[in-house]
Amino acid sequence: MATETRPTTAPPARGGSREKSLRSQKRTASTAIMVFLVVSSLIMATPFLWMALSSIRDPTELAKVPMPLLPQDLRLENYTDALTRAPFAIYARNSLILATAAALLNVAFGSACGYALAKLRFRLAPAIFGWMVACIMIPFYATVIPVFLMVRHMPLFGGNSLLGAGGTGWIDTWWALIVPGAISPFMVFLFRQFYVSTPSELIEAARLDGVSEFGIYTRIITPLIKPGLLTVALLSFEAGWNNFLWPLLVTTSDNLRVIQVGISSFRQEASTEWHLLMAGTTMAAVPMIVLFLIFQRYFVQGFAASGIK
Amino acid sequence: MTTATARTETPADEGPTRRRPTSRRRSVRTAERRWGLLLAAPATLHTLLWIGAPILVAIILSFTAYDIIHPAQFIGLQNYATIFTDELFWRSVLHNVIIAAIGIPISMFLALVFAVLLNRSVPGQGIFRVMVFLPHITATVAVAMIWLWIYNPSQNGLMNIVLGTLGIGPLPFLTDPDLALGAVILVTIWQGIGLKMLIYLAALQGLDGQLYEAADLDGANFVQKFFRITVPMLRPATFFILITSLIANFQTFDLIYILTEGGPANSTSVVTYRIYQTAFQEFRVGLANAQSVILLLILIVFAFLSRRIVGGTDGD
Repeated sequence: MATETRPTTAPPARGGSREKSLRSQKRTASTAIMVFLVVSSLIMATPFLWMALSSIRDPTELAKVPMPLLPQDLRLENYTDALTRAPFAIYARNSLILATAAALLNVAFGSACGYALAKLRFRLAPAIFGWMVACIMIPFYATVIPVFLMVRHMPLFGGNSLLGAGGTGWIDTWWALIVPGAISPFMVFLFRQFYVSTPSELIEAARLDGVSEFGIYTRIITPLIKPGLLTVALLSFEAGWNNFLWPLLVTTSDNLRVIQVGISSFRQEASTEWHLLMAGTTMAAVPMIVLFLIFQRYFVQGFAASGIK
Repeated sequence: MTTATARTETPADEGPTRRRPTSRRRSVRTAERRWGLLLAAPATLHTLLWIGAPILVAIILSFTAYDIIHPAQFIGLQNYATIFTDELFWRSVLHNVIIAAIGIPISMFLALVFAVLLNRSVPGQGIFRVMVFLPHITATVAVAMIWLWIYNPSQNGLMNIVLGTLGIGPLPFLTDPDLALGAVILVTIWQGIGLKMLIYLAALQGLDGQLYEAADLDGANFVQKFFRITVPMLRPATFFILITSLIANFQTFDLIYILTEGGPANSTSVVTYRIYQTAFQEFRVGLANAQSVILLLILIVFAFLSRRIVGGTDGD
């Protein structure tokens, strides 16, 4: 933007022709930029276009050499075929439940902790904040094996004894899918950042009016950070929907499989049927794309807030 | 708090508060303390249980031989000694380093170009941003599945169609040990541009427009402005992106799992994939935990670097 701002009081008379040549130079420059942007962003989008095109092609067409670049006729049955070959509807439902649970739990508990760390003074606050920041740095991949073992040896679940032996614990249950990742320290951190910028005077005023501490948090301050709530909800939902390794490890039955695991195992079962595979992949990819397009502004804001300012 | 006490004393109608401000303040402080702990407790306990405890368990198990079925046996530093001579583990680390060394600079450069161009008011700005950003928000599993199809070794893989028009190929991208890592790197570049662009965009919007105006008056051209003003001013963002990309790179898993399963001939194995194999295919859980601890140490180094940078700009 700044680069386009030109001095409004352009030098008149003297540079009449110079001005004109500058302007035409600028026009060719912006045309070149436009061309570059169109071509390069098309290249960026090509894999998605290829996925969408392949998902509606006839399998015989996919085998033809050379294959026509555009599908000869639409074959939407690929989608219904994929749905009957693998229970994608169940996978999608499971992903939806998982992602929604992640979003709700992160918003509820993340905001509570974020608010306390930002606005309330209690002795443990600095230590808890430090702990959360340390947790952000610990990658899930470094703890995945112990978390798996903890889930498997969860006492008194899945036929386990009080000492967590003998059965399968939380393996292949909703507990395993939802509980270990229910609260992300990064979301707590994000919430704290959102709450820090709200006015503390409001809290003081509400206290004087006799509003309870919990009421101040839920009814007075939290409504001020609605964009923040939406950001965290979206980021958590995205993480839940896109999660792969953890659901892969803890689920075995189709009833609990999520969509990312579903398409990856579908690939092994139907490795040559690219038309079905691409239909399944489209079903796994499109919900996040649609959600992103709707809430684009907040995604961008959330990412900006999570990084640098 | 001082402003608060001042306020409590001013309104005339608040009789009891006015008469005994200190006790009232004390009860507010107690409530604050109590609610602070109460609201912070669930998240704190959850992270202690699901992040803190697993870290401890990982460290303890890294000193044991454990196969899930039999009880763990303490074996001291033997796992670490094994890793020291485990060629495949270090090859996997090396692959992470190669992917980072080639992929990150290219991806960062392209992201910067996109960010600078899309920071100007061009028509269709929003659409362009979305197109560049989409690979980032799409699940890596889906992304990998799409590229699996693009790299399809028959002449009908998109990549081979494109190469075919240039008179090359068809090439077996994912099954040739010499090509597979390159094929993986290309996907990481494509997938990584979006987020980097976004961070650059955010940083660009915080830049001071006056510098550009001054440069305009001095007759600086686009290229000069780019290298003399934009690039130096974006140095904090660049460093931030670099560190976070390095951290993310060492956590690559989904892509490898779908695209190559570490093959062919282990030519694309990465650290997380190696850990996964050790733990869940070879069932050498103790050894896998030692590998995790080493991964953690690698990441802590990067995290501390990034913490120092982000910490500096952390706007409280």
